[in-house]
Amino acid sequence: MRRTLAGSLLLLTAVAGCGADTEQNASGSKELEVLYKVEPTWPHLEKMLTDAKKQYEAAHSGVTVKLTPVQGNNEAYYTKLALLNRSPDSAPDVYLHDTFQVNADVAAGKLAPLDDYLATWPDWKEQFPDSVKQAAKGGDGKIYGVPISTDTRGLWYQKDVFAKAGLPVPWEPKTWNDVLTAARTIKQKLPDVLPFTMYSTKIHGEASTMQGFEMLLYGTPEGTLYDEAQKKWVAGGKQFTDALTFVNTIYREELGPKQADAHNAKLADKVNYEWFPNAKLGIALDGAWTASAWKPTSTKPWAEWKDKMGWTVMPTQNGEEPGAVSMSGGWVMAMSSYAKNKQEAWDFIAVATNKENSLTYSLGSGDLAPRKDVAADPKYTADNPSVKFFTDLASVTHYRPAFEEYPKVSAQIQEALEAVTTGSKTPEEATADYAKALPTAVGGPDKVLAK
Amino acid sequence: MTVATAPAPPVTNTPPSGSSRRGVLRWLLPLGPAIVLLALFLAGPILWSVYVAFTNETLTGSASVNSEFVGLANFTRLFDDPNFINSFVLTFVFVIGSAVIGQNTLGLIIALLQRGRGRTTRSVVNGVVIAAWVVPEVVAAACWFSFLAEEGTLNAVLGISQEWLYTAPMLAVILANVWRGTAFSMLVYSAALSEVPKDLVEAAAVDGAGPGRRLLHITLPLIRRSIMANLMLITLQTLASFGLIYALTGGGPGTASQTTPLYMYEQAFRYFEIGYGSAIALVMLVVGALFSLLYLRLIKVEDA
Repeated sequence: MRRTLAGSLLLLTAVAGCGADTEQNASGSKELEVLYKVEPTWPHLEKMLTDAKKQYEAAHSGVTVKLTPVQGNNEAYYTKLALLNRSPDSAPDVYLHDTFQVNADVAAGKLAPLDDYLATWPDWKEQFPDSVKQAAKGGDGKIYGVPISTDTRGLWYQKDVFAKAGLPVPWEPKTWNDVLTAARTIKQKLPDVLPFTMYSTKIHGEASTMQGFEMLLYGTPEGTLYDEAQKKWVAGGKQFTDALTFVNTIYREELGPKQADAHNAKLADKVNYEWFPNAKLGIALDGAWTASAWKPTSTKPWAEWKDKMGWTVMPTQNGEEPGAVSMSGGWVMAMSSYAKNKQEAWDFIAVATNKENSLTYSLGSGDLAPRKDVAADPKYTADNPSVKFFTDLASVTHYRPAFEEYPKVSAQIQEALEAVTTGSKTPEEATADYAKALPTAVGGPDKVLAK
Repeated sequence: MTVATAPAPPVTNTPPSGSSRRGVLRWLLPLGPAIVLLALFLAGPILWSVYVAFTNETLTGSASVNSEFVGLANFTRLFDDPNFINSFVLTFVFVIGSAVIGQNTLGLIIALLQRGRGRTTRSVVNGVVIAAWVVPEVVAAACWFSFLAEEGTLNAVLGISQEWLYTAPMLAVILANVWRGTAFSMLVYSAALSEVPKDLVEAAAVDGAGPGRRLLHITLPLIRRSIMANLMLITLQTLASFGLIYALTGGGPGTASQTTPLYMYEQAFRYFEIGYGSAIALVMLVVGALFSLLYLRLIKVEDA
């Protein structure tokens, strides 16, 4: 019996030990935990952070940086981060954060404001453009993250496919109809080529909302999710239905990917590694970073992409001014308000986002560089002729209404999109259901503008 | 549910009061740590999730630190939620289709066919059926995915092109679950059938009862309690089934195969509404309890 007792006590001690504080170990050295995401085809951030860890540890003896990767796509990362952030004991000190999630965490007091540190960091004033600085601004006006990437979105098209289908190259669509007409032409002339792809299912999460739906909605006359003047969320309306109708047309006329592919978490890999290089796809509505899939640093380089691929703006619905639409988001490095060693955590963020490491990341990921000195670096533009075009889209770009409720609104948009993709609802029905679900998502009918 | 009142067991050995404390210590000491651990890691989370179901707790945002008690709001929202109703219907279809009809009947048939076969046949069949049961859920899902995928085995054999997981997602997950879970029913029925007295069956045969009649009037009535127990176990198991469907269709396309456990997961961990998700879990718990009560009741009726 004594042995059982001893064993149980040992077990209890071990269990209690799990919750113990690991910020500072016996020898007095400190540990910083950094959380980020990695995928087999997306090692770029890991590369940058590993470099930053080496540099930081060399300069700060006594501090160890513990890199904790999350394997999986964005959605898996959001969930893991949210769960770890539930308790101060498990929350990472520094983490990669998607800008649209920032305000939810600011509201919960889980992020530390960086203004005091930024004031002492010359790079912030000199190298980050004002528009980029807003990326992780909280509702209280404070800054909660240093951007590592920004982005814009547009249309990518395969020039060989266009030539074979008898379509003009360079291609300059002026309206949604031009895009649909080109897709129909491809379907008609080249039956075994997929005319068009976009993200429109729940499995692609925020990518469906942003690259898919919002690229359409913000291209309709006065189309928006949130009415800035009245400070209310817009409950559907004609613009919403029109955007869904475009998606509906794509799938009902079989201009888009098959359902199996539309619901495949690896759709982007199929598009970029298989279909475009093999001239099996005409047009893709996607982000500025797409070209990184073909660069020499990629897992499956495609040297000829610079000649074979074209890029152009996503037009507004009927060619309304300014003729093009784009959405911008991006990722930041943020600091947890639970971090015990805040100065060290900040120092690590400053090292990770310095010019050298930002450049490493931008070259690998193909994301648009948030820093002026990186954008001006010849290496940054040398290998990628599409960069200038996508950087210039900043003049027409829109930002998401990044309020605390936004992730829930986004979830409802994905419901509507997927219903239209599978054809289980008409665009009108899906819009009506969105309008019905919106008050619950944003916290009351008084926050909703009926349409 | 009525509980048969049994006479209190006769007290045979009342320990003297002095040693009664020692007697308690005797079982409490070794059990103590286990009870503490169970309370901490099992009862604790269960109670917490019951509590959370009545709050607006979320995983991110202000409600993740300042959640409020919202009474029955989660439950009224639940029963007004078409997606929940849809998931509930699908769960019902899934349980009836894959457990009550699929696994149960197939398991019984295999067990019946195996009676009186040679040792080799039995071990081969048992081996194959149990192998499906032994593989992890995710592996089973991967197998079925490659079987049903567009470039998969089924289409290759039939020589057609069909996206089975998108055109018939419920059928796909039901078949996969039948394939995976039949072994359990088969084992239960094999054991039950071996208890059926041979002389009874032979006597019926001598009296002129055909195989059908023998099955209906001799075998099935004799194993009825095993049938009920088996039904209860596989119903509860299937009701909570998550991994297989999640890995195979992810609940899609749309919500076409989104059973309640998947809907619960989506609400709680993708949309971060842990309070709402817990409310769904609580409803599932009640449904499971109702099913068990029903089966227990049927067994009791049999016994009476």
